[in-house]
Amino acid sequence: MTDKKPLIEISKLVKKFGSFTALNGVSLNVYPGEVHALLGDNGAGKSTLIKVLSGVHSATDGAIKVDGEEVHFNSPREASDAGIGTVYQDLALNALTSVTRNFFLGREIKKGPGALGIMQMNEMNEITIREMKKIGINIANPEQPVGTMSGGQRQTLAIARAIYFGAKILILDEPTSALGQKQQMEVLKTVKRVKNLGNIAIILITHNEIHARLVADRFTFLSLGEVIGSGLSSELGGDDVKRLMAGGADIGDLAKELENVT
Amino acid sequence: MSSKSLNQPRKESDRHDAKKWYSAILARPEVGPVGVMLLLFGMLGYFSIPAGEFSLNPFSGEGFNALAIRNNLRVISQLGIVAIGAGLLIISGEFDLSIGSMIGFAGGVMAMILRWGFAVVIPYVSFEGGLHIETYTLFKITDVSPLLAICITLCFTLFFGWLQGFIIVKTGLASFIVTLGGLFFLRGLTEVCYRAFNKKPDQTAGSTTVTEIPDIKNIVNIPGHGELERDVAKNLPQEELLDLLKTVPEATILKLTEKLTHINEKVAASKTLLLKSKGVKGLEKALENATASGNEGMIAILQDKIANFKIEPATAKAVSDVDLAKAYIDTIHSARPVANFFGGDIMEPLFNWLYFTVDWNVNNYGNQFADGLYSCLMIWFLLALICYVLLSQTQAGNWIYSTGGNLNAAKANGVPTNKVKISLFMFSAFCATMFAACQVFETNTADTAKGNLKELEAIAAAVIGGVVLTGGFGTVVGIIVGAAIFGIAKEAFFYIPGVDGSFYRVFLGIVLLASALTNENIRKRVIGSA
Ligand SMILES: Nc1ncnc2c1ncn2[C@@H]1O[C@H](COP(=O)(O)OP(=O)(O)OP(=O)(O)O)[C@@H](O)[C@H]1O
Ligand SMILES: [Mg+2]
Repeated sequence: MTDKKPLIEISKLVKKFGSFTALNGVSLNVYPGEVHALLGDNGAGKSTLIKVLSGVHSATDGAIKVDGEEVHFNSPREASDAGIGTVYQDLALNALTSVTRNFFLGREIKKGPGALGIMQMNEMNEITIREMKKIGINIANPEQPVGTMSGGQRQTLAIARAIYFGAKILILDEPTSALGQKQQMEVLKTVKRVKNLGNIAIILITHNEIHARLVADRFTFLSLGEVIGSGLSSELGGDDVKRLMAGGADIGDLAKELENVT
Repeated sequence: MSSKSLNQPRKESDRHDAKKWYSAILARPEVGPVGVMLLLFGMLGYFSIPAGEFSLNPFSGEGFNALAIRNNLRVISQLGIVAIGAGLLIISGEFDLSIGSMIGFAGGVMAMILRWGFAVVIPYVSFEGGLHIETYTLFKITDVSPLLAICITLCFTLFFGWLQGFIIVKTGLASFIVTLGGLFFLRGLTEVCYRAFNKKPDQTAGSTTVTEIPDIKNIVNIPGHGELERDVAKNLPQEELLDLLKTVPEATILKLTEKLTHINEKVAASKTLLLKSKGVKGLEKALENATASGNEGMIAILQDKIANFKIEPATAKAVSDVDLAKAYIDTIHSARPVANFFGGDIMEPLFNWLYFTVDWNVNNYGNQFADGLYSCLMIWFLLALICYVLLSQTQAGNWIYSTGGNLNAAKANGVPTNKVKISLFMFSAFCATMFAACQVFETNTADTAKGNLKELEAIAAAVIGGVVLTGGFGTVVGIIVGAAIFGIAKEAFFYIPGVDGSFYRVFLGIVLLASALTNENIRKRVIGSA
């Protein structure tokens, strides 16, 4: 696996919000056909990292290479054109409009001049149904508002959308949070299906160690804006993961801390 | 366990109940507003039929006679024009309180340009003969065509719309406060301009109106006289009118004669009816008195008189050549199509047909009641049609919905949300300008109070029509219905006997609140949190 070329290489990435350093020299590589789990405590900087990758924020320092070429994104559009598809924590869906309108939001199929072009609703509906089916969800009515879909279905919609629009690198920010058990499994199945497509690199952010274990091939742990550990899934023991997820503190220490709480 | 679930695994689609054919209609957010609108139309039709008369035909009352339709539709469509701009903006998550002032401003600019022309001047400080400000006129157009006047006005209003939008998206300030600033700024600026341009030679402050604009939409080209206002042409000396008639082809004269004869006959018939009912009324009064005093002989005589009451039918006036010439002038097309487009009438053939053939559209004196409808109806219709397609079918429409529905989602998907918002602020200013153009060219006057409170009415109409104030939800059809409700409520309440006409405001207040609640409920149901 290590002889593969990484799809995306991040080296010494720094992001400052004013005087606050959200990311302090983060490096990691992601390979096609692999799930790379990005773990860390609240506020560690996971979301900030992927926002830089997806062009929402621009980096203060450091380099991002996609397919060996250095890139600088000034907008989410540029990132997605370069093949980085992001599924945000809030999914970037408009609950008030239909599945199809969300699937094609910003990239509508249309005939006519500029933004005044007429959307080709039938074609768009067909594609939406087909693409959702590919990664495991049958939707009855593509005209139904997204607000009426379940959380798992919404995740799938966002993932299907990213893949359809040419994502080679799929970034999932806590896709299983706020979901019930069954729907969490649905999403993990979807992740696995995407992984099995073989050509897509997945960055998975989660707070759930079990989920990471189930699907991830590689781990990177962030704490206070820095990488405090990384490795292949096969190399890491359960205690390592727990320790690193808690920001490097020993589980034994945590147990003691808890004992002192009255 | 049922055998069905064993044979066939349950599918996602099985979870949706089969829909009844009408459920799709009932689920539409416009259903409520349409219901209220129909109720109001019914009320107007019912209550405007004079007491004592019975009729199931709502068109027989005053509320729906030709003239009332003409006037009601003007109120509705003027509000409708700005409500569409306001509504689209609200759907995108912002709103505009400067619409009313923008109307006043646009009307003022347009009227002043039409009255005094347009000039670009550069002020500079001069020291010759003491410190004062001189101006250098870059260029000046004195005779501005209607189209140019509208275009120049649009330059100003679209710029202000753009500026407000730009400030809002760049600073992140609430549109409420920025456009509230716009409301004061524009209204004040308009007043200042009126006074400055109306300033009298003795430097006393001028009035805040512009009058004495010619009736531009009615300027016609009279052979041998050039361009004249229609009314001026009709008042030309008799011999000149007769000369004009000589240039008119025989066939046209024949048609006009036929028309005028028809009108004169109708007028005569109405006069006869009027005289007769007057005569009968007099006799009936006498009969009442006789009954009161118990004069048997008199009662019998009067009853007989009433039964056999006859009156010499009024004779129809003969059609004179001067009448013909005047009628011909009425048929000449406007030489200023743009002014006529905004301020003239539409659907005249239909209203002529209703008068000549259907025998409706006739007033008490036998003349034609309404010549047509105000053309602001057409402008509203065109705007509504374009916006309907725009919002429901185009990419821009999807962008508008998502900008208001979930701004971050729209941004993350590459929707140029700032452009969407700024464009809609400009569109709102455009709609206000269209409103002003209709008013200026129709009435040939403008004053500083024009458009007062229209911004709130427009927002109310949009909300009544199902638009949610927080954005992302609403339709053009709904906004149209909302404007209709707003426009018709006043008329409907006016005719209810024994009810103060101002109750329409009470009614609108309640409808507004009810709509806002309903809209919010529908929205919550759609996003799945209710
Ligand atoms: N736009 C911003 N401006 C200033 N500070 C920010 C901004 N975005 C994030 N931060 C800060 O950066 C730090 C990292 O935030 P980030 O959202 O990346 O954390 P996270 O690892 O995704 O946490 P969580 O697990 O809770 O989602 C936090 O302290 C946060 O307050
Ligand atoms: Mg986060």
